[in-house]
Amino acid sequence: MAMDVIDYEIFGNEMQYVEIELDPGEAAIGEAGAMMMMQDGINMDTVFGDGAAQQGGLFGKLLGAGKRLLTGESLFTTIFHNEGVGKRRVAFAAPYPGKIIAVNLAELGGTLLCQKDSFLCAARGVSLGIAFQQKLGAGLFGGEGFIMQKLDGDGMAFVHAGGTLAVKDLAPGEVLRVDTGCVVAFQPSVDFDIQYVGKIKSALFGGEGLFFATLRGPGRVWLQSLPLSRLANRIVMAAPAAGGRSREEGSLLGGFGNLLDGDD
Amino acid sequence: MSQIPARLFSPGLPAAGQDVVLLVEGKTLRILEPSRYLPERGIQLRRVGFDLKGLELAWDDGAGRHALQILDAQAAATLISALPPTLHEALAALALSGRKQRRARRLGWSALALFFATPLLMLGLFLAFADPIAGWIAERIPLEQERKLGEASFTQMKAELQLRDDSEGAQKLRELGQRLTQGSRYNYEFHLADKTEINAFALPGGIIVVHSGLIRATTRPEELAGVLAHEVQHVELRHGLKNIVKQLGLTGLWMFATGDIGSGLAGSAATQLLSLKFSRDAEREADAHGLDSLLRSGIDPRGMPDFFRILADKAGAPPAMLSTHPQSAEREQALRDKLASLPPVPAKPLGWQPWPPAL
Repeated sequence: MAMDVIDYEIFGNEMQYVEIELDPGEAAIGEAGAMMMMQDGINMDTVFGDGAAQQGGLFGKLLGAGKRLLTGESLFTTIFHNEGVGKRRVAFAAPYPGKIIAVNLAELGGTLLCQKDSFLCAARGVSLGIAFQQKLGAGLFGGEGFIMQKLDGDGMAFVHAGGTLAVKDLAPGEVLRVDTGCVVAFQPSVDFDIQYVGKIKSALFGGEGLFFATLRGPGRVWLQSLPLSRLANRIVMAAPAAGGRSREEGSLLGGFGNLLDGDD
Repeated sequence: MSQIPARLFSPGLPAAGQDVVLLVEGKTLRILEPSRYLPERGIQLRRVGFDLKGLELAWDDGAGRHALQILDAQAAATLISALPPTLHEALAALALSGRKQRRARRLGWSALALFFATPLLMLGLFLAFADPIAGWIAERIPLEQERKLGEASFTQMKAELQLRDDSEGAQKLRELGQRLTQGSRYNYEFHLADKTEINAFALPGGIIVVHSGLIRATTRPEELAGVLAHEVQHVELRHGLKNIVKQLGLTGLWMFATGDIGSGLAGSAATQLLSLKFSRDAEREADAHGLDSLLRSGIDPRGMPDFFRILADKAGAPPAMLSTHPQSAEREQALRDKLASLPPVPAKPLGWQPWPPAL
């Protein structure tokens, strides 16, 4: 199926949304619940599975839907179809603070591997699949689990990352060591593995865990500075209602400090 | 000559690589668009791609390091079969390391599977060998602990039982009990509960409760002695304790296997204590040992099968006892058979009058 060429614009700084311009007849697929606004003339259609090329019959559809469940996406995908006469816009919002990554799959050779749950939207024709981690160590300790999302096609795809985004181009053989959980996406030419931090002392007290994720070139990788789980962890830790303890500055005064700082 | 789609990463090309076509022409490897020849020596092979089914050819030259990747599994296989002999050595090394990696991966997965299967395995083993395991553990629990367990559940049910411990019937109960439990390592307590169901039960540690309904159903004291002898043997053989151990073990292993912690371990143990259902084997064992104890204490043992006859005849009566003690007739027959095989024992009738005593 031919890809739709879509124009897009990303708005916002730390909490972004992407606006996609659809020519008449063009369509985009969005993760269920990601749509923020759409202009008159755009029709919304929810399909079972990933809405890519025709999947052979019911079984193919079920398989596609099952794959989506494994990657933490919802069973349904929504297709936004421009049935008006002129150009129409539809916007998709990122679900938490971070950056939206716009990837032209054609530039990457047609495939992108990304963290599950990070898909936001794409041009119609991009298919969402799963890639199963073959390396036991990388699956257990790599921070991305055993299942990653695979985007196939040659159109634009939009993926979401937490915090600030880093794009790194790795030369053949170049190795980048990354904190586990910070890898958002990489080209399939990149080798994703783990490496023991090296010293018992660092492993126990360094705060980086036992393993680094290693990315070995050639290819392009996308890293996030703040994985959602880390952000959520800090928020829960700081929220008294969730059983956490707010950690204020000036702890010498303890409870009195809380009284004095005027926050309450 | 074969043409294989590949992706080239080279200094001067886009960092994300560029699609090229790889030609294998006899001994030389050539790329089209941009047209280049691969060096004859110094090419390193490596498995690449997320599924590790692709192949990378990498080499160095003055400009830097180059990598040519064939990610499609089929294309990689085609290339491997067409590679020139200069690369066969590298290919063999690749195959060897691939085998090693596969073996390591299999080992890792097996270890992981074992890790998750162990609790299930233990659960299965426990289910299969529950009786010997529970017996072994029960033997290692001190009597005081057992007694405490029994007392705890007795305290719980006391309010419901309406004890008549100062009645004449309770006195007779204690008298019979004392005769049946002489020389036991347990300190027994016998209680009479004012309830109409024909029932009696034993708690771990030696607390035995008899319902007044049961005593009313008996026609002579020897029948009551038969029931008591049976219940005493449940205590002596630690049936209740074994039941609890079994239940606790199952609950514990179940939680271990499923990770479902905290869904009322204590609650289920208490219900187990309260219902105190014994297996059919346990009942048979208590019958046999009870008969022996009657013989030892010089009480006419025929009271025991006689009482089973009464139970069997009362099949329509409140089924509390019948449900936990099925097939009274069968048990009566087993006891009579056993008695017939023994030499007749002279036993003085208890001859307590009037019977049943005041309850």
